[in-house]
Amino acid sequence: MKTKTILMAAGLVLASSAAYAASWTGGDDLPTNPLACDATPGEVVAKPYDGGVPTNAPDRNGKKITVVDVPKLIGVGYFSATTKGQAEAAKELGNVDVKTDGPTKANIDEQITFIDNYVTSGVDGILFAANDPVAIAPVLKKALAAGINVVGYDANSTPDARQWFVNQAEFNGVAKSLVDNLAKEIGEDSAFAIVTSTFTTPNQARWIAEMAAYAAKCHPKLEFLETVEAQEDNVLSFNQATTLINKHGDKLKGIVGMTSVATPAAAEAVTQSGLCGKVAVVGLATPNAMKPYVEKDCVKSVVLWNPVDLGYAAIYVLRAAADGTLKPGDTSVKAGKLGELKVVNGSEILLGSPFVFDKSNIGQFDF
Amino acid sequence: MTLSLRSFMRHEAVLGILLVLVLFVLAQQSDKFFTTANILNQGRLMTEIGLIALPMTFVIITGGIDLSVGSILGLCAILLGVFWQNLGLPLPAAMALAVCVGALAGLVNGLIITRFKVPPLIATLATLALYRGLAEGISQARSVRGYPEWFFVLGQGEVLGVPTQLWILIVFAIGAAAILGLTTFGRATYAVGANETAARFSGINVDRTKLLIYTASGLVSGIAAVIFVSRVSTTRSDMGTGVELDVITAVVLGGTSIFGGRGTIIGTVIGLILVQALKNGLALSGVKGDGTIVVIGVVLIFAILASNLFSRNGDG
Repeated sequence: MKTKTILMAAGLVLASSAAYAASWTGGDDLPTNPLACDATPGEVVAKPYDGGVPTNAPDRNGKKITVVDVPKLIGVGYFSATTKGQAEAAKELGNVDVKTDGPTKANIDEQITFIDNYVTSGVDGILFAANDPVAIAPVLKKALAAGINVVGYDANSTPDARQWFVNQAEFNGVAKSLVDNLAKEIGEDSAFAIVTSTFTTPNQARWIAEMAAYAAKCHPKLEFLETVEAQEDNVLSFNQATTLINKHGDKLKGIVGMTSVATPAAAEAVTQSGLCGKVAVVGLATPNAMKPYVEKDCVKSVVLWNPVDLGYAAIYVLRAAADGTLKPGDTSVKAGKLGELKVVNGSEILLGSPFVFDKSNIGQFDF
Repeated sequence: MTLSLRSFMRHEAVLGILLVLVLFVLAQQSDKFFTTANILNQGRLMTEIGLIALPMTFVIITGGIDLSVGSILGLCAILLGVFWQNLGLPLPAAMALAVCVGALAGLVNGLIITRFKVPPLIATLATLALYRGLAEGISQARSVRGYPEWFFVLGQGEVLGVPTQLWILIVFAIGAAAILGLTTFGRATYAVGANETAARFSGINVDRTKLLIYTASGLVSGIAAVIFVSRVSTTRSDMGTGVELDVITAVVLGGTSIFGGRGTIIGTVIGLILVQALKNGLALSGVKGDGTIVVIGVVLIFAILASNLFSRNGDG
């Protein structure tokens, strides 16, 4: 681990000619749109449809369709939950045949190959959660060109490479929720660090950028220490969190976990170091993984949306796109038990506001 | 030599039969498998691995191994982006420079191995970490995007109906086969792997041979990086992670002995096609990703066992 840090440092020195201006590491360069410091909701700006359109798609209205879901990786709780939601929606609809297949590591090369093979095998619809928004675009465009309905969820691609994207929560909303809870727990002028997946993972990079913008606006005294990468890997996340605790000592008052793997691993690291109550853990995670820590009062707030609902909505959106009932320019779409979902940002469907799990409600959720 | 040549042919014959069998079975499973479009597309997907497998065949014939190829690929990919976007070089110059860095990285491997007598496994394990660390550091983990349209011809375009990069692979494969089979350098490669001491006493410049081979390995990884970036239209520092294993699988499946002294380019090419056909064909016939990996593992063991069985009979 240490050698790697030294090597990275050597690389950073080499790259100093190409320095970037971002204040927090791990964010992206896109423009940010921080929400108001109080609870005023963000404005929905009308934007023309910017998604793609499948070429010569056959008439699939009401017909049975085969759908393949290619998440970032398989075998983790989060994407098992989205798969569960998809199966639920498919069962309700009765005319959707969905299966999940994907790489066992969040690897863009492999994800491209998976999608490519499914395009060749001739499915009707593809659901994806991108490991890289740009690298995945050519193969998705190929799918559109083959007349396949393409809908993203969880992690977006460039808009023109898919028809719709089901957005689990707007980035600025999640960022606000994380930073507000963090500031509430550690106090306004304390220091914290972030554990993320990789610096290029689109969602995490976006959230971090939005968090930086929101913190600058509403909690200017919060001190950002550093962001470390942990690849959505359990052991690595635990090690990185432990390293943060050892490295920064008393200065570190909070750790923000940006993935559903990093947050419980950070909580475990804090527990094992005997720092419950001294170092706060705030982050995105699934309730089941966090229950032990929340019940022991080691973690106070866990921010997330419901991934089962996310998978559920993705199937309804894909079905609506295949049926032709969801067209460019529409402002909402019906999604079964979730009711009407709003279209935002041109071609994104918003699932809702982020949800904060705490000791009072976490017992009611099981995923 | 003739005897060992016969045993090469034997392994390739076994592999060739296995390939035909696999192709036949897979074609039965899915009618999408044996179509021109799919086959050409698979050629596109396997080019990077295929290119790197060529010099890797040389490396393994000398009794060495190069684990750093995936990291060199990542490093060259990142540098291509940095040279072009951050230093403002014209893209062709950036491409050439990135390939040069690849060759340099390979040369460093070669120097560590020949000058300091570090076993290749350890030397390239170290540079695997080193080059990946550099790639991550230099990129500051940001991806470079927005390459001009003409650049994508290399990775996404086609010439005479065949993917551009497949032509490159074919040219390189023929070149590598000619060098290994027909030149003194090729014979020196076998000699180094079969018995390094004997090769030294026969007046073969062992260090120079190895140095050239490791440099070529880096160089070709650099070329693969450029093609890869063009194919996926973006640059990331984690590109090519784990490529070394796919490459070594193809080479070893192709009958190249991990102990050195044996192996052919044609074997590597068959091994490569076999793995790619399995991955693709199984996916098309509805086997999930995890199942595919299991089948590839089983085929690898089976191929090696079968070939050992036959060659033992031959030698015995």
